[in-house]
Amino acid sequence: MNFDHIDIIQSLIDGVLFGSIYALIGLGFTLIFGAMHKLNLAYAASGIAGAYAGLMSLTILGLPALMAFFIGPITAGIIGLLLYFACFRFMPRGNHLAPLMASIGALFFIDEVIIHETSGSPLSFPAVLPDAYFFLGEFGIRGDLLIVMGFSFILMAIVMLLLYRTKLGLGTRATSQQPVAALLCGIPTHRTNGTTFVLAGVLGGFAGCLLAASVGVLSPLLTLPLTIKGLIVTVIGGLGSIRGAIIAGFAVGAAEGLFLLVRGVNERDIYVFLLLFLFLVFRPNGLFGTTINRD
Amino acid sequence: MLEVRNLVKHFGGVRAVDGLDFKIKQGEVFGLIGPNGSGKSTTVNLVCGIFPPTDGEIMLGNINLGAIAPHQRVDAGVARTFQNIRLFGDLTVWQNLWVAWRDQPGQEQGWVSNWFGRSTSRRQEIQKLLEFSGLGDKADHLASNLAFGEQRRLELARAMAAKPKIILLDEPAAGMNSAEVKDLCHRVLAMKEMGMTVLLVEHVMELVMNVTDRITVLNFGRPIAQGTPLEIQNNKLVQEAYFGSSENAQGGGN
Amino acid sequence: MTYLLGIFQTIGVHTLLGLSAYLLLLTGQLSLAQVGFFAIGAYVSGILTVIFTWNIFPALAIGAFTAGFFAFLVGFPALRVKGLMLVVATISFSEIVRLFFFNLSWRVNVNGLEVGPDSTQGFREIRYFAANGWEQIHIVGLIWFMVIVVMLALWWLDQVRAGAVLRAVGTDELAAQSSGINLTMVKVAAMTGGGVIAGIGGGLFAHSTTYVDHHTFVILLATFAVSYPIIGGLRSVMGTLLAVIFIQGVIVEGLRFMGDYRNLIFGLLIILVMNLRPQGLLDGHLLEDLKKLLGRLTKGEKADA
Repeated sequence: MNFDHIDIIQSLIDGVLFGSIYALIGLGFTLIFGAMHKLNLAYAASGIAGAYAGLMSLTILGLPALMAFFIGPITAGIIGLLLYFACFRFMPRGNHLAPLMASIGALFFIDEVIIHETSGSPLSFPAVLPDAYFFLGEFGIRGDLLIVMGFSFILMAIVMLLLYRTKLGLGTRATSQQPVAALLCGIPTHRTNGTTFVLAGVLGGFAGCLLAASVGVLSPLLTLPLTIKGLIVTVIGGLGSIRGAIIAGFAVGAAEGLFLLVRGVNERDIYVFLLLFLFLVFRPNGLFGTTINRD
Repeated sequence: MLEVRNLVKHFGGVRAVDGLDFKIKQGEVFGLIGPNGSGKSTTVNLVCGIFPPTDGEIMLGNINLGAIAPHQRVDAGVARTFQNIRLFGDLTVWQNLWVAWRDQPGQEQGWVSNWFGRSTSRRQEIQKLLEFSGLGDKADHLASNLAFGEQRRLELARAMAAKPKIILLDEPAAGMNSAEVKDLCHRVLAMKEMGMTVLLVEHVMELVMNVTDRITVLNFGRPIAQGTPLEIQNNKLVQEAYFGSSENAQGGGN
Repeated sequence: MTYLLGIFQTIGVHTLLGLSAYLLLLTGQLSLAQVGFFAIGAYVSGILTVIFTWNIFPALAIGAFTAGFFAFLVGFPALRVKGLMLVVATISFSEIVRLFFFNLSWRVNVNGLEVGPDSTQGFREIRYFAANGWEQIHIVGLIWFMVIVVMLALWWLDQVRAGAVLRAVGTDELAAQSSGINLTMVKVAAMTGGGVIAGIGGGLFAHSTTYVDHHTFVILLATFAVSYPIIGGLRSVMGTLLAVIFIQGVIVEGLRFMGDYRNLIFGLLIILVMNLRPQGLLDGHLLEDLKKLLGRLTKGEKADA
C-alpha cells in the first residue's frame, strides 16, 4: 500500500481532533489518581452511562437535543459520586487491590445495566453537532470534531482554573500530597475526594456525549476501548500529570488516526494498545511522570 | 569497609544529604547521629539503594554499591533494619529469617536447595539465630502477633540472617523502654564481638554513647563533627546543634 | 448426567484460571492478562491438534509453554514499575490478544476439510476428543487431573522457600528487597507460572468445547479469574476452588432463571465483598471464627453430656 503525505497528514488531523475526547477521559483518570493514588476503572463506563442518560432525556422526555449535554454530564457526575462511595470511600487506606477490584466490578455492573436496558444493540445518537466540513488547503477538517476540540479545551481550562485558583483545588492538591496532614489542617479529605469524583464524572459525561455525538451511535461496546485508551493516555502522560494526560490524549488520537490509515479499522486498536508497551519498556514514567519519591 | 565519598541527595529543593564523607572500619560500630531531618535515614536509604544519590560514591570494600541493584547490595554484604518495623507479618517468625537467609560463605547449598529446599534444610541454623535473638520459643508464631520488642529483635535477626558484612540499624531503639534499650546495647555489643560491622543511626543517646567506637554528627545533611563518643559529648558545636543545651548532653552519657 | 459433567467441566477450567491469578496475587500483583494467556493456550493447542493433527498432550504442553512465554514478555516491562501499572498493561495485553485472534484467519485443507481459525467466524472444528473416541467423562477426568496436579504443585510451593519468598514480596516489597530478593525476578517468575497454568486451562477449554472465538476471551473472564482467589483468600489454594464452586455453581448455575442478570449480580458481588472483606471471604479470620464456633459447639455438647 502507498500513502502520500496528504493522506498521512489528513489522518493525523482527524486523529488529533478526535484525541480531545481521549484527553478528557485521561484527564478524569488523572484527577482521581492524583487525589487518591488509586485507579477508578469504572470511570469511562460512567461517562458512557452519562451519554446514555443524555440520549434517554431526548428520546423519552423529548427535550431539545442540546439538553443531552446537560443531563449527560450531571448523571455521570452522580454516578461518579456513587462510585466513590461504593468502591473507594470505605476501603482501608493502604489496600490498593480492593478498590481496584471493586471498580472493575462496577465497570461490569454499569456495562451490564446498559446491555440490559438496550438489549445490547447500538442506539443512534442525534446529530447535535453541525455537519460542516472546512478545507484548509488540501486538507479537510470535520466541523463537528472541531467543535468537540474547542469544547474540550474549554472544559480543560475550567478544570485547571478549579484546581489552581480555588480553595477546592488547593484542598485537592493538599490531600493528594499528604492526606493525613491535610486532614489535620482541617481539610475534609472525604469531601474533597468526593468532589473530585463528581468533577471527574462530569468531565467523563461530557466526553461520553461528545464521543456519541461525533461517532453518531452509542453502544456498550464503546466502554472497554474507551477505558483502555483513557488508561493508556494516563500512563503515557505520566501517572498523575495533568499536562501529560492532555498532551498524551492528543498524541494517542493522532497515533490512532495513523494506524487506522495504515492497518484499517479492525487492527487499529492492537497498535494503539501496543504503544503502551513501547512506553513501559522505554519510558516507564511516561512523558511527564516524576521519579521522586520519599518515604 | 564501607566508605562514603561526597554523598549528595536532593529532593526537589531540599538538600537532605549535602556532601557527606565517612569511612567505617572492619569490626567497628559506627554511629551516625543528628537532629530530626538531618539526613541520617536518607543516608541509610542511599546505601541500600532505595533511591539513587544525586552525587557521590558508596564503596563497600572494592564494590561500588551505586552501580548495583538494591537486592544485589544484600549479596554484596549490606543488610538493614527499618525505623518503622517492616516484617513479613503473614509469615511465621522463622519463615521471616528463611526468606532473608544466606548460607555462610563456603557452605552454600546451591540454587535448587536455596529456592526449593524444604523447611527442614536450614531449620537448625535458623533456630540457633532465633535463640541468640531471644525468640527461640516463638519460631512458629506469626510475625504480626509478636510484641513490639520481639518484632524489633526479629527484624535484627532477619538482617543477620543475610550474613552481611555490615548491618545498618535505622533507629533500632525508637519506641523502646529503658530495659529494652539496655538489652539492645548488649545485643549490639555481642554482634561486635562476633566481628560484625555496624552502622548505627540513632537518637537514643544511651545506646549511641555505650556501643559506638566512632560517631559522625550530621546537621542539615552535612557532617559537623567526628570523633569518639567522649569527644563528641564535649564538642561545643555538637552541643549547640544537637543537644540544644549542655545539660541534656550529659544525661545519657553514663 | 451430561449437565452435571458440563458443570464439572466449567468449574475445572475456571479453577485453573483462578489458580493462575492466585500465583501472581501471592506477590501482591493484580493481573487481568490471565484471559490473554488462556486465549493463547486455547488457540495454539487448537491449531496444533487441528491443523498439524498433533496428539493432545504435546499440543497442550506447547500451548501452555507459549502462554508462559508471553507472560514472561508482558511481565518483564510491566512488573518493573509500580503495581497499578500492571493492571493497565494486562488489560491492554488481553485486548491485544483478543483483537489478534479476531483478525487471525488461517484456513487449511486437512483431509478434505477446510479447518483453522476463521477470524470473526471463530475457530471451529477443534474435535480432537470426538475424533479419538474420548467420552465426556474422560474429558472431565483429564481436566480435573490437571486441576489436581496444579493444586498440588502450588501446595508444594508453599512448603519450600520459594513460597515464603512469594508471600514476603506480597506482604512488603521494600522489606523483601532489603532482604536481598530480586523483586522483578520473583514477580516475573510468578507471572510466567501463572501464564503456563492459564495456558493449560485454555487448551483444555478449547478442546472440551470444540469451538472458540474472540467473544470468549473478554475482560469479563479475566475479572472472574482474579475474583476467585480474591474472594477465596490467599491462605491456600482451596479458597480459590471453593470460590469457583460458589460463583460458578451457585451464582451462575443456581441463578440460571435470572438470565442475563447474573453478570450484573457478579459485579455487585465483587463490590460487596471488597467492601466487607477486602482481604477475601475465606481468610484466616473466618477460619479462626469457624474453629472457635466449632470448639464452642463441641464444648457445649460435652457440657450437655
